[in-house]
Amino acid sequence: MADAQAAGRLETFSYDDDIVRKFLFVTILWGAVGMLVGVIIAVQMAYPAWNVAPWLTFGRLRPLHTNAVIFAFAGNAIFTGIYYSSQRLLKARMFSDALSRAHFWGWQLIIVAAALTLPLGFTQAKEYAELEWPIDIMIAVVWVIFAVNFIGTLIKRRERHIYVAIWFYIASIVTVAILHIFNNLAVPAGLFKSYSLYAGVQDAFMQWWYGHNAVAFFLTTPFLGLMYYFMPKAAEGPVFSYRLSILHFWTIVFMYIWAGPHHLHYTALPEWASTLGMLFSVMLWAPSWGGMINGLLTLRGGWHKVVDDPILKFMVIAITGYGMSTFEGPMLSVKSVNSLSHYTDWTIAHVHSGALTWNGFLTFAMVYWLAPRLFQTELYSKKLAEWHFWIATVGILLYIVSIYSAGVTQGLMWRAFDETGRLQYPDFVETVARLIPMYWTRVVGGTLYLVGMLVFAYNIVMTWKRRAATYAITTVQAPALTKEYTPEPMRPGVDVPATAFGRFVAMTFHRAWERTPIVFTVLVAVAVIVASLFEIIPTFLIKSNVPTIASVKPYTPLELAGRDLYIREGCFNCHSQMIRPLRFETERYGEYSKPGESVYDHPFLWGSRRIGPDLAREGGLKSNLWHLRHFENPREINPRSIMPAYPHFSTNDIDFPGIQKKIDAMLMLGVPYGDAINTAPDMARQQAREIAADLAATGGPSGMETKEVTAIIAYLQRLGKDIKAAPGVATTTKAGGQP
Amino acid sequence: MADNPRLIEHQYDGIQEYDNPLPRWWVLLFWATIVFSIMYAFNLGVGSGPGRIAQYEAEVAAAKAAAPPPAEFTSPEELAAMATNTQIVEAGKAVYTTNCVSCHKADGGGLIGPNLTDNAWIHGGTLMEMHKTITEGVIAKGMPPWGTLLKPDQIDAVTVYVASMKNTNVPGGKAAEGTVVP
Repeated sequence: MADAQAAGRLETFSYDDDIVRKFLFVTILWGAVGMLVGVIIAVQMAYPAWNVAPWLTFGRLRPLHTNAVIFAFAGNAIFTGIYYSSQRLLKARMFSDALSRAHFWGWQLIIVAAALTLPLGFTQAKEYAELEWPIDIMIAVVWVIFAVNFIGTLIKRRERHIYVAIWFYIASIVTVAILHIFNNLAVPAGLFKSYSLYAGVQDAFMQWWYGHNAVAFFLTTPFLGLMYYFMPKAAEGPVFSYRLSILHFWTIVFMYIWAGPHHLHYTALPEWASTLGMLFSVMLWAPSWGGMINGLLTLRGGWHKVVDDPILKFMVIAITGYGMSTFEGPMLSVKSVNSLSHYTDWTIAHVHSGALTWNGFLTFAMVYWLAPRLFQTELYSKKLAEWHFWIATVGILLYIVSIYSAGVTQGLMWRAFDETGRLQYPDFVETVARLIPMYWTRVVGGTLYLVGMLVFAYNIVMTWKRRAATYAITTVQAPALTKEYTPEPMRPGVDVPATAFGRFVAMTFHRAWERTPIVFTVLVAVAVIVASLFEIIPTFLIKSNVPTIASVKPYTPLELAGRDLYIREGCFNCHSQMIRPLRFETERYGEYSKPGESVYDHPFLWGSRRIGPDLAREGGLKSNLWHLRHFENPREINPRSIMPAYPHFSTNDIDFPGIQKKIDAMLMLGVPYGDAINTAPDMARQQAREIAADLAATGGPSGMETKEVTAIIAYLQRLGKDIKAAPGVATTTKAGGQP
Repeated sequence: MADNPRLIEHQYDGIQEYDNPLPRWWVLLFWATIVFSIMYAFNLGVGSGPGRIAQYEAEVAAAKAAAPPPAEFTSPEELAAMATNTQIVEAGKAVYTTNCVSCHKADGGGLIGPNLTDNAWIHGGTLMEMHKTITEGVIAKGMPPWGTLLKPDQIDAVTVYVASMKNTNVPGGKAAEGTVVP
């Protein structure tokens, strides 16, 4: 059709496939590593002896698993697909080969930095945003390099309109940048230590605004873009509906961003935010399914091909998995369902049923499709690809069936009351011990998925070994875009409606947006930012969201140091600090948590999963000696406990002078520290001596006054105590009314 | 398929699109979720009603109203009778093994908590005093209030079991603490 227009000068160019090959290799490498760590932590939950303190405990490895599979495996998979498809969809080589390489090596450097710092205990304690501030800055820089390279390619494109895959890439690039920057704002307290700029309720809100949209704009929209390129390629058929693409794209972009608060139902987050999060999640159901429909119906008339094409098999399961997860997500966001699922393995099952299918299988399909084209040879073995498919599919089934069962079982046990009105399972560990067989089943399922991954890696490496001696570089010719362009109807027999309303309904305006990618990018940014501000502004500005509690005071210097140990060890991965206003919770843990209780919590540590019990009111429940013995070996105290041992607490020295830096950073954040401004180390030494004296007096070891164990005990003994100092104040405070 | 009138001619790297209308069921589903959300937001038939705190308070009040009357007060005589009933003492041992060994050790010699096999008692050594200590706990020292966790007959049983350990003086136990009650 463009031929009818005044054609631009014919230009000759080639695509940069070398960068695609680079990203493809690391996708496989990091995928195998990330999944291996997943299997290790799965074993740790069933068999705690696999925790090797201090570096290889569950609390430190779990973030390594999530970061590796999300940012290293899925991340590099996205870049593989984007670099391959964008050049072809835009008829242009990437804007700059140098930027492409800077992006590649920068991202791998970030991954290596993550793999080193997370086991060392450097963490911001925010899920999927654990990496400390120097790495966060690297991520921001590399992401900007990627964005410049991508937008540069958009500008020098030779294709008049941008295809739906490109829309999704744009949305992902823009939104991830915004989310990453605003969730990670922090005040450094050392080279690898920082405190979130936000505290308590606001920090929780920002984190789950980020966390949920990391799922949306890192694991969903870029993969939808990949689907829109690789699905019609593999199925060799047209995409089902262009206007469905438009509608589901914009509704996803605008509505996903609101959904974050559904991760915080029944917490101290104001209820209006929680309700908004739920309702936008419910309304996301159809927009998400728009993508599924467009993916699956692209196969119309081609279903017979699925039988003997492993690539299509992977794609069908991927898109079906996407459909199931995007139905389940809205369901889990309904408050009453969430009251059962939250803090249990149900969430873990939900994530994995989405990630193992949608992200994993779509990546496998894409790489199987790409490998012969990139290495200019045949795929080494189609049979192995079939084996990969079946091994991984059985793995997924074992994984999710067992972990769904675990989640529902534990959720029901937590809320069970007996006929006398007492908790049926008052001992938390009973609800853990029941899950161990399911955890072993998960280990088997996860291992099968990993085996599939290794079969896949072998197949691709063997394909690479049989590559062309020198890669043929195909040159492409396309006319440059001209300034003059007269819009034409998209297909014969369709006239542009005469009225403005008619044009709106027919969505002809969108065709114009597709010709101006910079305007398109700005519109996406506006949609995302406006939607975010609708929730962010009231969360930060409305005073009644967080009623002040006079008796809540900042942590003492030693408690703060202990809190940083709690963060270092990743305790928040297994212990929540947020009691929900539900009777079965308050019976078990005490008074429900109030927003005013975490006003000095930079970062918040509410947690999202209870592998162990909630600790919001742990202070004073056990003796100091109990904690010391429990850290040294939890199973000596409780034979069925699956908590890792932390013997190094009793041998590591506290860095007393370093505590001053922590207090100074807190002061910068506005935490009223008064006396501790210059005397923090002395105050900490004094408190440590008192705890050490108590430990010795009650029959424990002596000489603990310089050891980390006193700091972590000081912190745990403080938890939830402030509110008890002022009875009455707490119980009458309304937790966040309607604004 | 190539002559399908809904096919858009334009190709992106060989990929084509149909201009198919939106599936009707999909449009209806979308509208249904929007209508549901509006109704929920304004509490029209569905919604969070009075809010989570009011719901919680109602739930607690209802549970209180439905709770069975408080268990009969256990008298010293009843406890003394139970102490001679080996079946009850055995049941108490089971409760002890599940809940108490982490602090008082399996043989009662004491670990974090005090030795239960000597004849010294910190919070009183009569059956009734032990019963009270177990029920209410000693929060300051890390002894939980078991009255909220265990059923009344379990508390009775574990009380008489603990009493049965008195003066067994297991080897390797912690040093005596509290007042000697011969």
